[in-house]
Amino acid sequence: MPPVATPWRARLAVAAEPWLYLSPSLILIALVMLLPLVIGISYAFQAISLMNPFDSGWIGLQNFSTLMDDAKFWKSLKNTFHWTLASVVLQFLLGLGLALLLNRGFHGRKLVQALVFLPWAVPTFLSALTWSWLFNPVIGPIPHWLAAVGILSEPYNILSDPDTALWGPIIANVWFGIPFFAITLLAALQSIPNDLYEAAAIDGASAWQCFVKITLPFLAPMILITVMLRAIWVANFADLIFVMTGGGPANSTQILSTYIFTTAFRKLDFGYASAIAVVLLLLLLAYAALLLRLRKSLKMVDS
Amino acid sequence: MARIDIDSLYKRFGAETVINDVNLSFEEGDFIVLVGPSGCGKSTLLRMIAGLESISAGEIRMDGKRMNELPPRDRDIAMVFQSYALYPHMDVARNMGFSMEIQGRPEEEKRSKIEQAAEVLGLNRLLQRLPRALSGGQRQRVAMGRAIVRDPSAFLFDEPLSNLDAALRVEMRLEIARLHQQLGTTMVYVTHDQVEALTLADRIVVLDGGVVQQVGTPMELYESPANLFVARFIGSPTMNLMDIKVLAQPLGEQAFLSEASQLGIRPEHLTPVDAGEGHLQGRVEVVERLGADSFIYAQVPGAGRLLCRSKGNTSLKPGVPLGLHLDLPHLHGFDEQGQSLRHA
Ligand SMILES: Nc1ncnc2c1ncn2[C@@H]1O[C@H](COP(=O)(O)OP(=O)(O)O)[C@@H](O)[C@H]1O
Ligand SMILES: [Mg+2]
Repeated sequence: MPPVATPWRARLAVAAEPWLYLSPSLILIALVMLLPLVIGISYAFQAISLMNPFDSGWIGLQNFSTLMDDAKFWKSLKNTFHWTLASVVLQFLLGLGLALLLNRGFHGRKLVQALVFLPWAVPTFLSALTWSWLFNPVIGPIPHWLAAVGILSEPYNILSDPDTALWGPIIANVWFGIPFFAITLLAALQSIPNDLYEAAAIDGASAWQCFVKITLPFLAPMILITVMLRAIWVANFADLIFVMTGGGPANSTQILSTYIFTTAFRKLDFGYASAIAVVLLLLLLAYAALLLRLRKSLKMVDS
Repeated sequence: MARIDIDSLYKRFGAETVINDVNLSFEEGDFIVLVGPSGCGKSTLLRMIAGLESISAGEIRMDGKRMNELPPRDRDIAMVFQSYALYPHMDVARNMGFSMEIQGRPEEEKRSKIEQAAEVLGLNRLLQRLPRALSGGQRQRVAMGRAIVRDPSAFLFDEPLSNLDAALRVEMRLEIARLHQQLGTTMVYVTHDQVEALTLADRIVVLDGGVVQQVGTPMELYESPANLFVARFIGSPTMNLMDIKVLAQPLGEQAFLSEASQLGIRPEHLTPVDAGEGHLQGRVEVVERLGADSFIYAQVPGAGRLLCRSKGNTSLKPGVPLGLHLDLPHLHGFDEQGQSLRHA
């Protein structure tokens, strides 16, 4: 067949066809995700405070320059790192340990496996309340135990001491997050063929060498992706802190997400809150990009 | 090199006895093949020798030393798995050198041993590849390389060729035979394929239902099977078996016939003759010509289908009546229990 020059309208129709099929979901995504995101980001460059309803309008980067001199912001940023790092590292290590235990056969394993899910089934609000009671020396046992083993000089509430307050929500968060790592890592562990361990046993490897040279390389891709997702989630996770300490005492437990929340809904300053949110978004994007690069550069194990 | 002795060995999984009173001795440098149908306990027996499976009762000794309680790494054995069990995240060189890496051997020693083994197996060009970039046959070689590098006193193979296609299987079979001649190390080789058993073994152990049916050289097993199971299992095409009644009249004088309940004769000892002659009368059903041999399937009233194997071509055509001559010295008789009457 000789090549016929198709009229541009026909070519346009061919090019547009897939987009037409996709349009319902594209429109939906635009409406529920992109639009709010763009509006939210645009707030960061405006003065929108319900306390000053007549003083609103575009103000350029003014919110961001205020941010640079805001000691509370820098403190929250530091606390966010502390909170995210400690929570994720402890969740991961304990979750991995639990997954390794669950991967061995023992009596009642099914029951334990079901119980491990439990922290997830409890509403965050309820677990936050329960944990703040547990840390309260009047009704909770934890301060007395900590004092008994010598960690605390006397049974006081760690949530009311600015030096230790952040550890309260971190401990609650670790308890809350272990199941996530335990379940995902257990699934990855169970996909490692058993004959590799048998071959390694014949090759003379000890249990520790098996773990380091076989288990960990197999888990690495899963570890990277779960740690990334979890860290982003934890950095944004304000519920526990908000209920347990409300960011206090003296902002010692304020993280960026709780600071955003209080700025927006307590001080009703949506412009400034959006500016903080944009900074958090950029930090998390940079972090995710870094981890994805790392993941790519690792030699992946064929699944 | 090691001598392996197995005494009254049992393995139970719950109520099921998978290895039942096995007694065996493997001489230094022997190539032993454990053969039997799927599920008969071959892998279990091999894994007990390797130390991957605990021993329910009995004893395994290597060079007189009790092995029961020793972990696999203290047994000085190497094993090639059916699945190869290559470490997928390590390249070929590291896979082969893994045992030395574990022992913290010097880099120089590792490299020379790996290169030596790669030379033997023709893997030199593949040392930097990951297992997933290898063909089935190459993976198989790497698995063997990993075993050779360790220079063990015994090699254990668990159906190493069953994942390969037919042509490659023949090639690797020769390779393994060559390896045994070159190294002279004791090898214990598990397979369900009796051709592999006959071609590779110095001695064959036939297992069924966890019980040793017979131990012997390939020719012993072929020429005097101890029972019906071995008679049916060893040899391809299989031995012709028929009820004693069919032959009671034409063979009246044979000594062991009085106790026999079944008779067996291999296809090459059954010769087609003119109709009306020979011991049995029947009709040609199918003729298969393989070039060097011809297979003649004959329907014999009372005995069912019997197979004759004759040299070269044949002029017989399907449907033609024929007589069958039995080479009587090669006739096998089996009693009610299936035990051979000829076997001591
Ligand atoms: N870990 C196990 N638990 C229970 N039964 C097993 C186990 N391993 C093997 N068996 C049983 O033992 C028998 C022999 O298995 P195996 O040695 O693998 O046979 P094969 O001769 O095919 O290699 C089979 O019936 C199998 O079901
Ligand atoms: Mg098997």
